[in-house]
Amino acid sequence: MADTKTLPEGLKDFALNGKAALVIGAENPLGRVAAITLAEAGARVLIASQDAGTEVALKEVAKTLEAIGSKALIQVQRAALRADLSATVDLAVTKLGGLDILVTALDEPLYGPAETADDSAYDRVFENNFKTAWMAFQEAGRVMLQRGGGVIVNINSVLAERGVPNATLYCAAKGAVRNLVRALALEWARRGIRLNLLECGWTAEEGSIALEPGDFSDKLIKYLPYRRLLKPEEIAGALLYLVSPAAGFVTGESIAVDGGLLCRV
Amino acid sequence: MILDSFKLDGKVVVITGGGRGLGRAMAVRFANCGADIVAAARTVAQLDETAALVRNIGRKCLTVPTDVGKSDQCNAMVAAAIKEFGRIDVMVNNAGIGEDSFGKPIEQITDEEWHRGIDVNLSSQFYCARAVIPHMVAAKRGKIINVASGYGLRGGKHNYMYACSKGAVLQLTRSLALTYADHHIQTNCIVPGIFPHNEAMMKFFKGGKFIPIGRPGQDEDVGPLAIFLASDASNHVNGEMIIIDGGGLAGGVVPTGVAPGNPA
Repeated sequence: MADTKTLPEGLKDFALNGKAALVIGAENPLGRVAAITLAEAGARVLIASQDAGTEVALKEVAKTLEAIGSKALIQVQRAALRADLSATVDLAVTKLGGLDILVTALDEPLYGPAETADDSAYDRVFENNFKTAWMAFQEAGRVMLQRGGGVIVNINSVLAERGVPNATLYCAAKGAVRNLVRALALEWARRGIRLNLLECGWTAEEGSIALEPGDFSDKLIKYLPYRRLLKPEEIAGALLYLVSPAAGFVTGESIAVDGGLLCRV
Repeated sequence: MILDSFKLDGKVVVITGGGRGLGRAMAVRFANCGADIVAAARTVAQLDETAALVRNIGRKCLTVPTDVGKSDQCNAMVAAAIKEFGRIDVMVNNAGIGEDSFGKPIEQITDEEWHRGIDVNLSSQFYCARAVIPHMVAAKRGKIINVASGYGLRGGKHNYMYACSKGAVLQLTRSLALTYADHHIQTNCIVPGIFPHNEAMMKFFKGGKFIPIGRPGQDEDVGPLAIFLASDASNHVNGEMIIIDGGGLAGGVVPTGVAPGNPA
């Protein structure tokens, strides 16, 4: 619980006390930060996975949440499976008593020449980056529409806004989510649901291509306005702003957390 | 704790156009988060009203009557702020004119009207940034928040000075952001949609019925975004324009209220 008694008057509508939140992709570094942020701000959180076989990772996140005084629920599920996502949303409603906030932190990068990508690569990238988000928005939206509203934030990438060679499918899938958020935000604008995105810059997270030693990462770091990668925890402020009642007039929009990278390109 | 990173205890925030509207709402919100305020505007009576609101919250407020379209007055205002508080943590370039005065055919707009608008809406932001940057560079930190408008991203019938000046504010933001990233100074831009400040504007925008979310913006909507951009919570957000418009710029390809297959 955020202690609203000690909170300055001007920050009260940033608190999430009493809110029920679902984070999908909580085993991912940015999803983990989202879960912690929501819990710190006072929400009850259900953390669900992007991929199967992630129970250990989810339990680690749950432990962190418990350390900050938040009772954490976990749900291992597989991305892009309607039945799993539907069950996860139902579980959130049952166990948390509702669903006010959905954060999707989905990521499935793919790098390589376009002409050699096979159809299974297409399926994998679009299922994990796009289709899961689409289905999660639908499933959570169904509940939120019924209950009179809610907030959805997708944790996306600066690649949603620009092209990168050798990352064609990845850019396309990220960009698809960007425009999905615009259209769905308009469709639900008068039904109480706000949708927005975070567009993260190159992030220091396990498995990231930006961390692999070599020509790409050397040149990339020098090119970044801050000359360093984004640390996952640096998205917390923008995320909290967007999910909180403080951003009640913001919908269909994005906040880039990229140190200024998008102004350069 | 994430909420602590939004706190502004003891920070000094300068706000141009601080005598009314968005500027006053931001000043009050900043004070409610623990900041002291320097309010700059032309009209002393309005500045005094803002100052009373800030002091009532228990924070300090320095008022500096300023015509922000004049560079010497911007320099003097920043110098007065430094003299009073010793530093400036946040510069909010909010002053603007002409949000309710477009509609005049191009051939009726005088050189004077054009230049005055560009001076107040655009040059003022350049002047104030130029004046505060050395102090922020010396402090190795700082936040500049420029207020643009949805008209900085879209055209409007008979809307020249306002659209041009606000569009340029976005570019000023980006170049400041890239230039001073190394100095830990973040420059960002708030892009408000329709925020009617009088009856005539409310009528012109038909009460906000064309805004997707179904209502026009209220000055208080902008405060929290300004808090976020002024605080450590936004330290990796730089050169960004954050659109706060009830969904307006997410769409616009069809009229609000209609949809294919669903004639409203």
